[in-house]
Amino acid sequence: MPPDAAATLAARPQRRPRAAHVLGQNIGLVLAAAILLASAVVFTLMFVIQQQRLPGSFEITSTVNNTMPLAVAAIGQTVVVLTRGIDLSVGGVIDLTNALAAIFLAGSPLHMIVVSILVVLVGAGAGLVNGLLVGLGRLQPIVVTLATLSIFQGLAIRVLPQPGGSVPAGYTNLLVNPDAPTALIFLAVAILGWMALRRSRLGVELFAVGNDEAAAVALGVNALRTKIVAYSIAGALYAVAGLFLAANATSGDATTGNSYTLTSIVAVVLGGVSLFGGRGSAIGAICGAFITTMIVNILFYAHINPLYQAFYEGLFLVVAVVLGSLIGNLLRRRG
Amino acid sequence: MVGMLNRRSLLAASGIGLLAAGLPGRPFAAERKLKIALSNSYIGNKWRIEMENLFKAALQMEPYKSQVEGSWFNSGNDVSQQSQQISGLIGERVDAIIVNAASPTGLNGILHQATERGILVVSFDNVVTAPTAIKVDTDQFQFGKKLADFLVEKLNGKGNVIMVTGVAGTFVDKERNAGADSVWKQHPGIKVVNRYTGMWDSSVAERNTAAILPSLPKIDGIWCQGGTDGVLKAFIAAKRTPLPPTAGEAENGFRKFMTGYMSQKVDGLSIGQPPYLVLVSLELARRILQKSHPRKDITIPFPFVTNSTVKVGETVFPNLPDSFFADFTDSGADATVKICVDAALTGKACEGKLDVRLPSQA
Repeated sequence: MPPDAAATLAARPQRRPRAAHVLGQNIGLVLAAAILLASAVVFTLMFVIQQQRLPGSFEITSTVNNTMPLAVAAIGQTVVVLTRGIDLSVGGVIDLTNALAAIFLAGSPLHMIVVSILVVLVGAGAGLVNGLLVGLGRLQPIVVTLATLSIFQGLAIRVLPQPGGSVPAGYTNLLVNPDAPTALIFLAVAILGWMALRRSRLGVELFAVGNDEAAAVALGVNALRTKIVAYSIAGALYAVAGLFLAANATSGDATTGNSYTLTSIVAVVLGGVSLFGGRGSAIGAICGAFITTMIVNILFYAHINPLYQAFYEGLFLVVAVVLGSLIGNLLRRRG
Repeated sequence: MVGMLNRRSLLAASGIGLLAAGLPGRPFAAERKLKIALSNSYIGNKWRIEMENLFKAALQMEPYKSQVEGSWFNSGNDVSQQSQQISGLIGERVDAIIVNAASPTGLNGILHQATERGILVVSFDNVVTAPTAIKVDTDQFQFGKKLADFLVEKLNGKGNVIMVTGVAGTFVDKERNAGADSVWKQHPGIKVVNRYTGMWDSSVAERNTAAILPSLPKIDGIWCQGGTDGVLKAFIAAKRTPLPPTAGEAENGFRKFMTGYMSQKVDGLSIGQPPYLVLVSLELARRILQKSHPRKDITIPFPFVTNSTVKVGETVFPNLPDSFFADFTDSGADATVKICVDAALTGKACEGKLDVRLPSQA
């Protein structure tokens, strides 16, 4: 007779209370949310002091709309980083998809839907190339994606040699409505998608490969397929980021995506996703993306010397990351 | 310097805010200063630093000192950051935003929102395509054409010329080259024996010139978009002296050659994309907000000097580095703006009033 599962569970001595366990498991996410909350509070205080009013609909909407491309790109970066990879081609894929969107989007609603889907497929294809090179070629992700970054950037310039093109107003209103933060709905959808992925077989495999590839393979996980799928999903998400960027700018520029390579990694790190793979949450990365925007906001209202702005940005990041890891270590040791 | 100015205005603003907390309406509505902000992108080169220094200096000079409350921001070449900063300026309810954009198109969305909220947007240098933004710029086609015209005149329409071009793929490079080509077409006696890039950078221009010179015949004229002093130094290193007539940018080093430098003297024409475009933008914003100028794009003439007009201490500075842009000020009787060198170097105010002449409304 097999042992009664419930009985064995109950008999096992509980190592720590459930709440502490959950906290220990999600410490990165909790810290990211805490930093985001703290930076939002600081921003609100500075805003109230200087403007004698609370941040209104415009401030919230523009913060959300400006962060959308980064938030979506950071989810993609998370998926790759979870497999113990890293993706530097983010900027190139965003450049390329942003350029494609600016050229081909204009048309009827149906046309816009078709073009959007095609653009996302282009992104997924770019990710597939990365995944194949990393997985099949057994090459270092940082080398592969550094090379494909240049390739995608080059393609983007070919597609759109000079900034231009246009995005229909209806498309902009749908994705990044300038009058209300409706873009949050897309974020909610992304979070739901993440939670579903987390519970799916693929999600488990992502974490398994990132934690210990050899062990995962021994347990029957197809590591190659997992990596290829991870990079492809990431590529598709970068394409979505490119669409949001185009919608926000209302036109295209084949170089505006470049900065997202670094900022997406920053968002992932701030979001508590471990660069060593196997640990982290896309929700944390979204928080990380919003933290970077909040830092820009805070520095704006602090009216610091613009020449030192990059310095302070870096300082904020270091402090946030160091604090995060210190608190994380403390909590884990206590638990 | 910057911090002080801003901190003071910040303290004043919050102080007034506290006093007025219980009172209805705006306390300083009667003689409110115009809030004009500069949103700059990249700040990593001399041109941009001089440009921002001029803006700071102007804010401490009349009429701006008493009429304008200015602020300035840099975002680097990161469109989302510049966009977020402009959102902040909209939130602060400034009256006008002057933009040197990280992308000609990337800010169109947020700038549209600014103009929808009644904020005046003036874009200069790297101008934006947003139709609601007022544009202040120079005519780059004319830049290339004027340089070429000078050489045609100096060479009497006959001789070998090299063209040192700029950063390929940019609008400015294309226009300047087209301007030059339009002149060469009418003067078949002029032979362009080589055309290579100097990347608008003196050291790149010097390196590329040094590499290519040995393969070239005698050069009778130099047409150079940028990095002119580097080209001349390569000529000297290759013992191609005396230096041929040269039409180039506004590097201080080039102008030093025009007045005598490294025991050489060159017959030259020096034209520049002036950093004071920011002052023209500031003046235009002030005038439009005070309703004394129509809401219209303006193109300003390039500042230029020749050997007969270049003046030590005014348009060329022997004590300053070769890479300094000596066109921070205009010169001559019809000057758009005249400002002292300290303003460009340190952002300090000059003596007297600042008089910016906008082109007449034709």
